[in-house]
Amino acid sequence: MPLDDTGVWKKGKGKGRPTPKGRQVDAAALAEIKDLLGDQPRRRDLLIEFLHKIQDKYGHLSAAHLAALADEMRMAMAEVYEVATFYAHFDVVKEGETPPPALTIRVCDSLSCELAGAQQLKAALEDGLDPTEVRVLRAPCMGRCDIAPVLELGHAHIDNATPEKVKAAIAAGHTHAIIPDYQAYDDYVAKGGYETLKALRGGSKTPDQVQDEVLSSGLRGMGGAGFPSGKKWSFVRAEAGPRYLAVNGDEGEPGTFKDRYFLEREPHTFLEGMLIAAWAVEAETAFIYMRDEYPAILHILANEIAKLEAAGIVEPGYIDLRRGAGAYICGEESAMIESIEGKRGLPRHRPPYVAQVGVFDRPTLVHNIETLHWVCRIAREGAACFGDHGVNDRKGLRSYSMSGRVKEPGVKILPAGSTIMDLIEASGGMSEGEFYAYQPGGPSAGLLPASMDDIPLDFDTLQPHGSFIGSAAVVVLSDKDRARDAALNMLRFFEDESCGQCTPCRVGCEKAVKLMEQDKWDSALLTDLCETMVDASICGLGQAAPNPILLTMKHFPEEI
Amino acid sequence: MAADGGMLETTTFTLDGKEVTAKPGESIWEVAKRVGTKIPHLCHADEPGYRSDGNCRACMVEIEGERVLAASCIRTPSEGMVVNSASARAEKARKGVMELLLADQPDRADAHDASSHFWNMADLCEVADSRYPAMEENRIPLLDGSHVAMRVNLDACIHCNLCVRACREVQVNDVIGMAGRGHDAKIVFDFDDPMGASSCVACGECVQACPTGALMPSTVVDAAERGDRADYDREVQSVCPYCGVGCQLTFKIKDDQIKYVEGANGPANEQRLCVKGRFGFDYVNHPHRLTKPLIRRDDAPAKGLNVDPGNVLTHFREATWEEALERAASGLNAVKTDKGGKGIAGFGSAKCSNEEAYLFQKLIREAFGHNNVDHCTRLCHASSVAALMENVGSGAVTATFNEIENADVAIAIGCNPVGNHPVAATYFKQFTKRGGTLITIDPRANGMFRHAEHGLQFNPGTDVALLNSIMNVIVEEGLTDRQYIEAFTENFEAQKAHLAEYTPEAMSDLTGIDPQTVREVARAFAGAKAAMIFWGMGVSQHTHGTDTSRCLISLALMTGQVGRPGAGLHPLRGQNNVQGASDAGLIPMVLPDYQKVIDESVREKFKKAWGFEVLDTPGLTVVEIMDAVHDGDIRGMYVLGENPAMSDPDVDHARDALALLDCLVVQDIFLTETANYADVILPASAWPEKNGTVTNTNRQVQMGRKALDAPGEAREDWAIVVDLAQALGLGWTYTHPSEVFAEMKLVMNSLDNITWERLERENVVTYPSLSAEDPGQPIVFGDGFPRPEGRAKFTPASYLPPAEEPDAEYPYVLTTGRLLEHWHTGSMTRRASVLDALEPEASVSVHPNTLMKLGAAPGDMLKVETRRGAIELMARADTAVSEEMMFIPFAYVEAAANILTNPQLDPFGKIPEFKFCAAKLSKAEEVVAAE
Repeated sequence: MPLDDTGVWKKGKGKGRPTPKGRQVDAAALAEIKDLLGDQPRRRDLLIEFLHKIQDKYGHLSAAHLAALADEMRMAMAEVYEVATFYAHFDVVKEGETPPPALTIRVCDSLSCELAGAQQLKAALEDGLDPTEVRVLRAPCMGRCDIAPVLELGHAHIDNATPEKVKAAIAAGHTHAIIPDYQAYDDYVAKGGYETLKALRGGSKTPDQVQDEVLSSGLRGMGGAGFPSGKKWSFVRAEAGPRYLAVNGDEGEPGTFKDRYFLEREPHTFLEGMLIAAWAVEAETAFIYMRDEYPAILHILANEIAKLEAAGIVEPGYIDLRRGAGAYICGEESAMIESIEGKRGLPRHRPPYVAQVGVFDRPTLVHNIETLHWVCRIAREGAACFGDHGVNDRKGLRSYSMSGRVKEPGVKILPAGSTIMDLIEASGGMSEGEFYAYQPGGPSAGLLPASMDDIPLDFDTLQPHGSFIGSAAVVVLSDKDRARDAALNMLRFFEDESCGQCTPCRVGCEKAVKLMEQDKWDSALLTDLCETMVDASICGLGQAAPNPILLTMKHFPEEI
Repeated sequence: MAADGGMLETTTFTLDGKEVTAKPGESIWEVAKRVGTKIPHLCHADEPGYRSDGNCRACMVEIEGERVLAASCIRTPSEGMVVNSASARAEKARKGVMELLLADQPDRADAHDASSHFWNMADLCEVADSRYPAMEENRIPLLDGSHVAMRVNLDACIHCNLCVRACREVQVNDVIGMAGRGHDAKIVFDFDDPMGASSCVACGECVQACPTGALMPSTVVDAAERGDRADYDREVQSVCPYCGVGCQLTFKIKDDQIKYVEGANGPANEQRLCVKGRFGFDYVNHPHRLTKPLIRRDDAPAKGLNVDPGNVLTHFREATWEEALERAASGLNAVKTDKGGKGIAGFGSAKCSNEEAYLFQKLIREAFGHNNVDHCTRLCHASSVAALMENVGSGAVTATFNEIENADVAIAIGCNPVGNHPVAATYFKQFTKRGGTLITIDPRANGMFRHAEHGLQFNPGTDVALLNSIMNVIVEEGLTDRQYIEAFTENFEAQKAHLAEYTPEAMSDLTGIDPQTVREVARAFAGAKAAMIFWGMGVSQHTHGTDTSRCLISLALMTGQVGRPGAGLHPLRGQNNVQGASDAGLIPMVLPDYQKVIDESVREKFKKAWGFEVLDTPGLTVVEIMDAVHDGDIRGMYVLGENPAMSDPDVDHARDALALLDCLVVQDIFLTETANYADVILPASAWPEKNGTVTNTNRQVQMGRKALDAPGEAREDWAIVVDLAQALGLGWTYTHPSEVFAEMKLVMNSLDNITWERLERENVVTYPSLSAEDPGQPIVFGDGFPRPEGRAKFTPASYLPPAEEPDAEYPYVLTTGRLLEHWHTGSMTRRASVLDALEPEASVSVHPNTLMKLGAAPGDMLKVETRRGAIELMARADTAVSEEMMFIPFAYVEAAANILTNPQLDPFGKIPEFKFCAAKLSKAEEVVAAE
């Protein structure tokens, strides 16, 4: 029967969608993604690794590739997108947008580099380079504060950078990571490396014995929290397996470069320490989360881990090297764990602690690089090699990252409890001007005035002064510098790096910057704001971000 | 999330100076609420299904001995903890948080939601303004007005993440994300796409969850984006009229119009809704609503699909109720006089209430003395019911779909819950998120596939072969539950012998599924602690539908997966009341509660209850009735709320039948395609316009309440049925559905302990209910089956090909079904503005490669032909269908899929093979539009 039009009361011709809802997967992009991923398992925790693969190969993350990746991994597009846009080192390019140029320069603008003229350097580069060929971005600390100002050209770092050096490097095509001389596997083994690990595995000592040695040495978490390392082992070991070890190589606290120092010199001391800790807690897998700002170290570790696998010291895949993607917050251990799981780096609530609920919700031992370096040495040489040091009633050694207005910046391994005057002396004295102020442990520690020059710099000693030692990232300011400028630099950093999860930190950092940019600070309001941030933020970032504000108001009132 | 049960230990702690006790898992916030202390909260929803996230920090409390404050919503107390919610420090921090958020809120006078939770909390914290500088203008997201149903004003967003949890964790539609970082983080849809262009399915869960008005129903905000969610006159709690999930909802009514809808806390939906249940109600106000009885004009053109439902007076004239009822009765009586009662048949409706279904079948049986009464169950699960009755002894589900909460493995076969049972699908997807193993079996890689551990996109029509091969593995590898088989079943040996030849290797070519996958699936299912099987029309709408259902039953029986928490058989019922209408006896072979008309004792019982003799022979089924019309045996029909002129297979044949009738009485809310052929049209009430109970797929009997008056002279269906009965000379005296319900209880044991009053009070009772207090049994048959010796039966099933297989002339397989937005024949949903806007055009889903082969682009018009007829419609490129297949939804009158479908019936369930016929596909010739 032919249809009579009047009975066909409705027609939507031309109005419908020619596809199902939302973005459709482009067949060509999907083929490229499948090719790129090869036979790697499509595990969700590998998402960031896969995003790196795409970014490395294509220079950016196109919407078509992201949609294809989501499809291939059977993930929600939103899930992929939120991870891709969380990390600074991924460039998401949607339809109609221009992909970034082939070359990217990231100019560090954290405190030491800013003191060394980072802003002028960045401005000069922006003026002097063709933006269609090279883009110039600001970036947070790259862990090269002793050779400031620095920038990263592609993956090549240029120390004490100048526009001329940059142009020369571009002309020469020097855009790849520069691998420093370091102690490679053969040399390490020749000098007795891995003997300790092998002996322990062979039963020379029990995990309890090693744990006691670590405890007695006084070794504490060198990432900044300072938790006694041996105690951490006991907590993790008390939980039922499977357990994991996760190494925090996300050395992002501005001014800190000690982990890079150790890794670029003797990576195997760290690796052996890691394997000893992994042995002690019977870890199923040892994850190393290494910041993307250290491309040379990523290269070194990949090579040396392969050698360990080849030598049969570890099963292939036992050490799972993961690459960060430009997010300071991932130095927070629970955020790092989220990132290892392929997610945005949002810190978790505590309790539970990562020792109970860590990677893949399993008990996880999290250690800093330097901590594991000492674990190796303590296991090999005995507790005294670390614990017999210390001044001013403090115990152990500290690797102070010295930068700012000193003549000889660099990592200074000194007795714990050294004062700022000891450190300036060890750094060859002031480079210019009079000693005015110092950052004792990264921006989270705020600023102290030169008058407070006799405090032993160690865990616990700075708390009464509203500060802490943290990662021992010391930046020295002279009378040519202003504390309020340094504090604003720090809060801008925190505003930029706040993950955005909780209100006090997300909104608080943003409001703080606005208030600190004013000529005259509204001290009452800033005090209220700081109180809210300290009391109500989820993690250490938001809780410590007010320190530069509070200490500047306290010690440098004339500036504000 | 609070765990219940006193088995675990409670925690005693001090809250604001008083000793209190927390149940296991209970947060400080929840304890405080329980003891009457209201701690402010923003990102904590305090609603079922919402995990605490602890991100807003508006609920901070002070815990003695801790350095910083704690978010009370996410912190569980420990023994002896001392918590202060009212300390100056805690209050200051909470105020501080509110003040920070308030700095970036739009002015209260311009609020998108003047009664938002956010402003209530600001009041609670006594924060009215903010000292902080606001965000830079260029960092504030602009209005996204791209979606027809919802408005997105992220200037009010406080990053609480509730919409993300709503979308990703509660509904698991996975559209919303929080992109970027820090203060420039932003709620996004997919890749920060406009909501209207995203994969959003418009369930509206985010709108319901949003505490600030950043996400609002479009109907609640004005052109300046100002609105007020509390601006309504009254609210009425009822049930959704669309699918069999049976979501409870609340109508918010302003000026006697439904202003917006929210999900209510029913057992099946826990406040969730889908796009239809939330945004699909303005059909009740559509200008096409029938408001007066109509009688076909003497000068009307010949019967055909030729009436404009917006201008019915070309073919009909308005009449009084008296005249219309008289015409209907006399028309039907004339047929009765001429042909006997058997000359008349009735189609009742699974969209109406239990009471209406009951009255309808009783009217046909009483007034016409036979059993020719059926309804759309015939077109949906008749084969499943046939197999279940045969082998389990009951046609209903053995476990609610929500029981998947207790399962570790589930099979979803021949169903597309994401589209057709969207809220049930949310529970299935949550199950996979918890780590449950989902096995999806369907020729279309539908929306569940992404969540499935095993997705088996098998060759259409080979269900029996595939399931037999899975069972073959279970038997061969000794994975059966011998104890269960021994204790609770019969005929296993025959089943076992039958399966021997169905090895995965032997079946692989036929089914398209490799043997290894079949083995993995078999092992996963058989190895489950508790497993469920869900199926839909993809199983039932075949000539072998009963056989496939038999296989599913056998699969569950041989592994002992029935009658325990998390185990069971669940055919997902389609219509909101297809379970209830079937229970009420709207079936030609059985009386209420499936009591067989051929059983003399049953007839005796009903004779006592009803006072008349029930005919001892089963009546005809839907498709048989249409054939009988063509044969001249049936000349009159009474159709209540069904639309066979769209829903029957080979629908031209059905339409021709309708045109042949001497008297067709149609009772509906619109002039449906079926009503085009009517002699008398009785204007009825829409679901929100009447009281009545409905029974969902879970056997949950729920109370539907009247929210609105029917327009004009339209009346409630039950009242029309009663009046027609009276006009037909039956002495019916019902004055309220509650009286009908009371009568039903006399003949339906399934309603034991369920009363109208109880339903009014409790909204829902699941049957069977074992006492006046028992909310009902979610799981049945734990201790045997309603069959001889309490044993369920294995009925071996052999593979038979579909009735019409592809050949050189018709090389493709056509399958039909529904769309998320369109209910069945579209009579309601195509008149619902949001649903119509979302899916306005008939389309055929075709694989992109097939389109390429045809030289067609997505959006081009295609011609689809079968041996029954041809239609033209838009090509939708969709990789979910295989290259040899196409899918057409049957809601579109302008390209009615059922013109194409094959009316061949399953021999047991009498259900047509809607899911498989051979078709030809070509690019339509360009025609210049004459508009």
